[in-house]
Amino acid sequence: MFIHPTLLADASGQILEEITEQVTAKPEKILQGTEKMDGTQIAAMTIVGLAVVFSALLILVIFLYLSGGIFKSAGKQKKSAPEKAAPAKPAPAAKPAAVRQPPKAPAPAAADDSEVIAVIMAAIAAMGAADGKQYKLHSVRQVTRRGSGRSVWAQAGLNDATKPF
Amino acid sequence: MGGVIDFFTNTIQGLWEDSGIHALFASGGWKNLLMILISFVFMYLAIAKGFEPLLLLPISFGMLLTNLPMAELYHADLWQLVDGHVNYGRVLRDGGLLDILYLGVKLQLYPPLIFLGIGCMTDFSPLIANPKSFLLGAAAQGGIFFTFVVAGLLGFTAAEAGSIAIIGGADGPTAIYVSTRLLTGGGAITTGNIALAAYTYMALVPIIQPPIMRALTTKKQRAVKMEQLRTVSKTERIIFPIAVTIIVSLLVPSAAPLVGMLMFGNLLKESGVAARLIDTAQNALMNIITIFLGVSVGATTKADQIFSLKFGGVMLLGVIAFSLGTACGLIFGKIMYRVTGGKVNPLIGSAGVSAVPMAARISQKVGAETDPTNFLLMHAMGPNVAGVIGSAVAAGVLLSVIG
Repeated sequence: MFIHPTLLADASGQILEEITEQVTAKPEKILQGTEKMDGTQIAAMTIVGLAVVFSALLILVIFLYLSGGIFKSAGKQKKSAPEKAAPAKPAPAAKPAAVRQPPKAPAPAAADDSEVIAVIMAAIAAMGAADGKQYKLHSVRQVTRRGSGRSVWAQAGLNDATKPF
Repeated sequence: MGGVIDFFTNTIQGLWEDSGIHALFASGGWKNLLMILISFVFMYLAIAKGFEPLLLLPISFGMLLTNLPMAELYHADLWQLVDGHVNYGRVLRDGGLLDILYLGVKLQLYPPLIFLGIGCMTDFSPLIANPKSFLLGAAAQGGIFFTFVVAGLLGFTAAEAGSIAIIGGADGPTAIYVSTRLLTGGGAITTGNIALAAYTYMALVPIIQPPIMRALTTKKQRAVKMEQLRTVSKTERIIFPIAVTIIVSLLVPSAAPLVGMLMFGNLLKESGVAARLIDTAQNALMNIITIFLGVSVGATTKADQIFSLKFGGVMLLGVIAFSLGTACGLIFGKIMYRVTGGKVNPLIGSAGVSAVPMAARISQKVGAETDPTNFLLMHAMGPNVAGVIGSAVAAGVLLSVIG
């Protein structure tokens, strides 16, 4: 079936016009629902339909990239602001994730680590009770897997969350 | 004594003639009987096989009720257009229970209210974090428009072709919304036919999609691990529904009821200040509307409308629409794979056909078959929720062009 390009362009233009003008109360529809369509109408409807869907969602993509960029830069500014405000202090509070022994001064981050260590210790003790051996925990370090870019904990969480699927 | 016997026999005869059993054996009664048996099949699929039970069960029960002779729960003739309009006064005066419930479908109340509940339950963060997903959601709508071509060439009218094509959006409420607006009654295809096809195929997504996904992608492409998504701030999540409502409604006003309610529900969720409203919208309201929608849409599947060649055509084109939508999403996913230098796994493209969250789960499952350590679920949720918006926009286009 050959459709002349001029006919197709005319029909597409007509449909586009119809969509843009539909703000008015009750517009005349371009295709009568009870009638069968010819090849030109079918092709024009398909092209225009896809074009409108893509354009609408493309505008949303552009909007999201723009707003995402603004929020990212705002977030960076927020982060850098407190660092600039207090540069003199060496800030020893935030200890790295590697913990060799329970901390003496209980800071919030350290308290979280202690909780994790307690859970790990409990798991090891349970394992030891099963095979009649005693284990000693020397250090707990966060390991980042290079392949997936996720920590073991994140990987375990993902495994758990997506296992049913 | 003879008078008493006459009265007795006349009464019994009258009761027999008014009974549904008599009607079942009258001419054409076999069709109702067959429809009742078909409703049992759908009930079986919903209960035993778990095929979209929340909707397929009410639909199949509505199908049973409407085909019980003499029960008069639904009257297809009341919904025929008179001078281009439905006589709603007559529906209220003479209608049965299911006619009254069907008012909510005919007046397009139920689908937007279901979208309100869906909005409350949807997390758009994966889409906001990866806006490219929107394009995959748009590409998968190709299923709608290419099916429109096939239906049009097969001789379906514009309204029928639009209603069949929207099945490819894999979104039940949208399919019902469009078909109710386009199919004005009296034709061989009803909203019930469209809903049955849409929900049956949505339940069959795990069977329909994987072979197409494997056929259109290479093992290397399926194994692509995507970068972790960034964290989306609360402000972004609040602005998103407002912006989408404004942009989409200005571009395609016919899509405003669906997209507007979807985004309103999402704003309620993301605002974090309307816990009671969210609870009602996503639980009580959603459940009530689902029951009303399902049972009344099921009621439109009268025997004389199901046993037609056109209904067979709807079922056939429905599966074509689903498959084309999946293929379009995958092909666009492959394009993105090439453009980004292999950073996008094409499998997430198939999730663009709404069917939330089933289509995203299938992307995850097929991806994990190739590499068990590959987690595509969150990446696939982006195109998946974009598909909901995309199919609502496509619905708006169909409604604004076909009258």
